[in-house]
Amino acid sequence: MFQRILVANRGEIALRVLRAAREMDIDTVAVYSEADRDAAYLDLANEKICIGPGPSAQSYLSIPRIIAAAEVTDVDAIHPGYGFLSENAEFADTCRDHGIEFIGPDGETIRQLGDKATARDVTLAAKVPVVPGSEGLIEDEHHAVKVADGIGYPVLIKATAGGGGRGMRVASNKISLRAAFHQASQEAQQAFGEGGVYLEKYLERPRHVEIQILADSHGNVIHLGDRECSVQRRHQKLLEEAPSSALSDAMRRNMGRAAVRLAKSVNYKGAGTVEFLVCGKEFFFIEVNCRVQVEHPVSEQVSGVDIVKEQIRVAAGDKLNFDQKHVKFSGHSIELRINAEDPAKNFRPSPGLITEWRAPGGPGIRLDTHAYAGYRVPPTYDSLIAKLIVTADDRATCIQRVERALAEFHIGGIKTTLPIHAEIVKNAFFRKGDYDTGFVEEFFSV
Amino acid sequence: MDVRDLKKVVQIMNDNDLVEVEIEEEGKRLRLRKQEAAAPTMMAALPAAAPVAAAPAAPAAGGAPAAEAPADDTAGLHTITAPMVGTFYSAPSPDADAYAEVGTKVGPESVVCILEAMKVMNEIKAECSGEIVKVCVQNAEAVEYGQALYMVKPS
Repeated sequence: MFQRILVANRGEIALRVLRAAREMDIDTVAVYSEADRDAAYLDLANEKICIGPGPSAQSYLSIPRIIAAAEVTDVDAIHPGYGFLSENAEFADTCRDHGIEFIGPDGETIRQLGDKATARDVTLAAKVPVVPGSEGLIEDEHHAVKVADGIGYPVLIKATAGGGGRGMRVASNKISLRAAFHQASQEAQQAFGEGGVYLEKYLERPRHVEIQILADSHGNVIHLGDRECSVQRRHQKLLEEAPSSALSDAMRRNMGRAAVRLAKSVNYKGAGTVEFLVCGKEFFFIEVNCRVQVEHPVSEQVSGVDIVKEQIRVAAGDKLNFDQKHVKFSGHSIELRINAEDPAKNFRPSPGLITEWRAPGGPGIRLDTHAYAGYRVPPTYDSLIAKLIVTADDRATCIQRVERALAEFHIGGIKTTLPIHAEIVKNAFFRKGDYDTGFVEEFFSV
Repeated sequence: MDVRDLKKVVQIMNDNDLVEVEIEEEGKRLRLRKQEAAAPTMMAALPAAAPVAAAPAAPAAGGAPAAEAPADDTAGLHTITAPMVGTFYSAPSPDADAYAEVGTKVGPESVVCILEAMKVMNEIKAECSGEIVKVCVQNAEAVEYGQALYMVKPS
């Protein structure tokens, strides 16, 4: 087992890793930028080291600075958290080249699954359904029409070099497809320097359901169930729950198996998430996230497995000490992402001093946060300041408990998304579990 | 007592920093009490109305962010701080003389030390002119970004 781990991240996820390591009697080193100098969570680490100024490019995103810190503190491994360098294959390789274990998959696996074309190929080869689409790039408009006829309209034209929702156009018939193909290719060339496009079936108002997987370096892969993440605003998740109301038992079983099959086929190691779009009874692969995710706690709550501890164990070479059949799911869990944003002003970031912090407690309440009264939220990073994770025996009780917890929760000095969550859980469709990725836009015009 | 008298009384109170005045005249009693400034609260969490701090300024190019250095004991000294994380070496090699000691005169381009990271020896320049008055770190010590390395009396 590792003697000392460096946490290459900040905020709530850094704190999460520090907590897990402490419970495993592993020493920790926390890196921080000058913007995070006064953050109290740093004191949970055995050692803390300043690696640079506020801007991420010169601190949390800087491979040389982090490796330098790892070297001078003589750590055995680095946990990258999520975001920042967590899915940077070069960083994973650099760690290992310097004799430091990277708590995550191999650089090669990250590369393979990070490239959309190869990820699709690998997934098809594992007999996991993908969104119907073209095999490779579209050559010309005739090819586009032929593929579209095969998969059915409406279709989505996507730039192969694109990402983050950019470089996509919808076409609902042959005529608009021809025009859209040319426009999309041109835009892609200009925006990404690569004009290649491919086609996918456009799924209208799908649900986003993902499967948590865990794999060790001995070929064992298990899944820890599903999470429903359709409550999104501009592709940013606001609320997640486990399990999803969208899945029948059969679908759940099939999706779990599919995710495990895919992970095995690429010799995956560590924690990961396989994301799907669900339409009715069908599910389609979209991508794999090769890291621990923000919403991992809901899976922990319903499965009883500590995902971060398992990440550390498998990275140290241990075998998973349970099989799929040992994983038992119980209860329902909902996570609310509390962001320092002003919902009344188009979710504009609201950094600054937190003057009051009255957190909820009692049965079934878990709060993952690095914030407290007197903490100054820096303007330099993303706005997530807390995750309120509520668990109960069933979904209805869980929602009731969420409402109770929100009534207790008071944050003063900055604006937060707490009020939006209160609205979400009051919504009749949400309460029925009948919602999709169009939910926030439909009901909250945000 | 009319309004003008009242105004005079208030003026007297202000001029003499009086908080409370009671006047009795012809059976009528008047008490004036000034609202005191709010006492400082005992709650550590609540600050005096402090403006939201702007993000800390990025260090000047070449990185000697003196603003973040610990307070100088002596005013007027400049602190050379580490622009990166690394291991501090005071000399180019184990047998060589130190780049900078107390009394050494430096200019902007003078190399004052090496910071080693990832097997790369980075020469750190003084970026100021003056005389070294204090060496803050020891040879082979690990230093973090912003850590004080030398104190310089500017010339």
